[in-house]
Amino acid sequence: MTKRTGGDMEELVRIVSAADGEIVGRTRLQKTAFLLELAGLGSGYEFKYKHYGPFSEELASAVDLAPLLFDFREDQRRSGWGGTYSVFTSSAAYEGAEEDAYKQLVSLAKRANPIALELAATAAYLASVGDDDPWGETERRKPEKAAGGKLEQAKALYKKFKELQLPEALPDI
Amino acid sequence: MALGPKGRPQRIRDPLHDLIEFDTGRFEQMLWQVIQSPPFQRLRRVRQLGFSEYVYPGATHTRFGHSLGVFFNARRLMRNVRRHLGRDSFDEYRSDAALAAALLHDVGHGPFSHSFEAIGKSLNLKYAKHEDVSDEIIRNTEVAEILNGYIPGMAAQVADIIGAKTPADVYSSVVSSQFDADRLDYMQRDRMMTGTQHSEIDLTWLIANLELDAVPFGVEEERVGEVETFVLSSKAIYAAETYVVGLFQLYPTVYFHKATRSAEKVFFHLFERVFRLTQEGQADLVGLSKANPVIAFAESPDSLQNALRLDDSVIWGSLAELTESKDGIIAQLAAMLRERRLPKSIDLRTAVSKELGEGVPTELVDKAVLLSRNALDEWCDDQGAEVPPIWVDTTQRVPYKEFQEDIGPLNQILIRHNGGLVDLKEVSPIVKSISPFKLDRAYIPFEDESAGTRIREVVIEKAKEAKGE
Repeated sequence: MTKRTGGDMEELVRIVSAADGEIVGRTRLQKTAFLLELAGLGSGYEFKYKHYGPFSEELASAVDLAPLLFDFREDQRRSGWGGTYSVFTSSAAYEGAEEDAYKQLVSLAKRANPIALELAATAAYLASVGDDDPWGETERRKPEKAAGGKLEQAKALYKKFKELQLPEALPDI
Repeated sequence: MALGPKGRPQRIRDPLHDLIEFDTGRFEQMLWQVIQSPPFQRLRRVRQLGFSEYVYPGATHTRFGHSLGVFFNARRLMRNVRRHLGRDSFDEYRSDAALAAALLHDVGHGPFSHSFEAIGKSLNLKYAKHEDVSDEIIRNTEVAEILNGYIPGMAAQVADIIGAKTPADVYSSVVSSQFDADRLDYMQRDRMMTGTQHSEIDLTWLIANLELDAVPFGVEEERVGEVETFVLSSKAIYAAETYVVGLFQLYPTVYFHKATRSAEKVFFHLFERVFRLTQEGQADLVGLSKANPVIAFAESPDSLQNALRLDDSVIWGSLAELTESKDGIIAQLAAMLRERRLPKSIDLRTAVSKELGEGVPTELVDKAVLLSRNALDEWCDDQGAEVPPIWVDTTQRVPYKEFQEDIGPLNQILIRHNGGLVDLKEVSPIVKSISPFKLDRAYIPFEDESAGTRIREVVIEKAKEAKGE
């Protein structure tokens, strides 16, 4: 019974345009939108924990509908390991200031290693719902992804997100 | 809660699986205790298909029976896992946790799940979402005591499996995958109880051909490792095809039936109003006694006990009083639901397609439908009515469901083919050709000529807009 409004979809276009017109992966898009939300820069998407960490049903629905009304495109690519992932593109110009907090956060998420981003967003989510040991819990839930130095990479990435001047401070973890 | 070394064997007669037996071992005796607990017994009063009974009179089966069936299927699937892994590699603890999770996966469902959750979302009610209620029941009620009495920490492990908070492995595949015990039960049970004759599957053959394999997984281009999951032998291609098509067909015919969805909409608007008026201090208008669990829940929605007192029988039992409500809208909606006077639907997709003419691309239809839906929502908002004069209903079903992020082994049906593993779509032209089923309907709940006129105008206007006219 959720209403899908144009506003939901415009937010997607804004994210992709802030990423200079391309963002790779549904997981990356979800985690970027989550961090924007946490930083007080989002448009009100509600996130719950799912297999890949914080996930918004509304955002997933908006992804399916946005190409119908907006300059927003999703293409599928085959990965080397046999899976499939999405590439989102838009030629819409970014309407904010060139180096504003929104664009900086999105740019950092765009450049991040996808697994480190997933781990960092998951730890931030766990902290936001009151978990006492977000990094430990992230490692417990995602042992394969956290292995091989990826958890440390995620912590370093999160530190970079924390260094940004954001309207709302990300949780201290 | 301590359990003795041996109990009595227990048996339940089930219309789908025949005899569901619980042996005398500590584990299944513990599950039998879980089944006797009040939160689990409550599932006897929650129908599996909610208002589908208004279309298929036989569909009065409950989440209680379904949960037992899921456990039965899970145990069957787990035997496959044990056979493939061998006794030495098989992890008894993880198996027990997954089987308990299968039994308990629906324990938090409220009355008319989907619509009740929508009310919860609209009013921000803590315990309206079944996942949250299940989690709380398993971690913090007598169910937790029983699970932890079997093995300390078992309750948290079971809750984590259901909440997808454990790493994906073959044990959790039994609870959540494209061939999980849940799907394999509900599609057969719902088929049997509705009486529909399509969607029959060859479960015996599917399970006989279910194997385990280590399949790579990753994120974007980066490979993370391998996950052990279910795959099908090449002999099961056609059985798998029937399974996917059969499950898919249940959506337009049963789950998304226009009358069922209409009843859900009436329920939503009725109880959203009941809860809202109560929360606004106008419970006296509603017409229910203070002791009614609906009022108790509306007044203290953060109480798990209040959430667990709600079930279908409470809702049905409240309707007679609600028809006498001092609030005219509540009285009207309650009577509509009680007497099955359901709003008729207008299929927006059909209306738009007719307007656009034959042979137009699907994207154009999708666009005109989306524009129409948004316009109708806006129009309804502008009317400022207590209950919107048009109820727009939209949803869709894709052939493979779940895991809406990037595609990997957990959201594929993998089949052995020419020495490798491929997704079913690659070897089944039938499955490959299935387009998502999209539902877009508008209901007019009350006699209102302007609403019907507005729908017709919007469809014409938005079809033109979509075509760029």
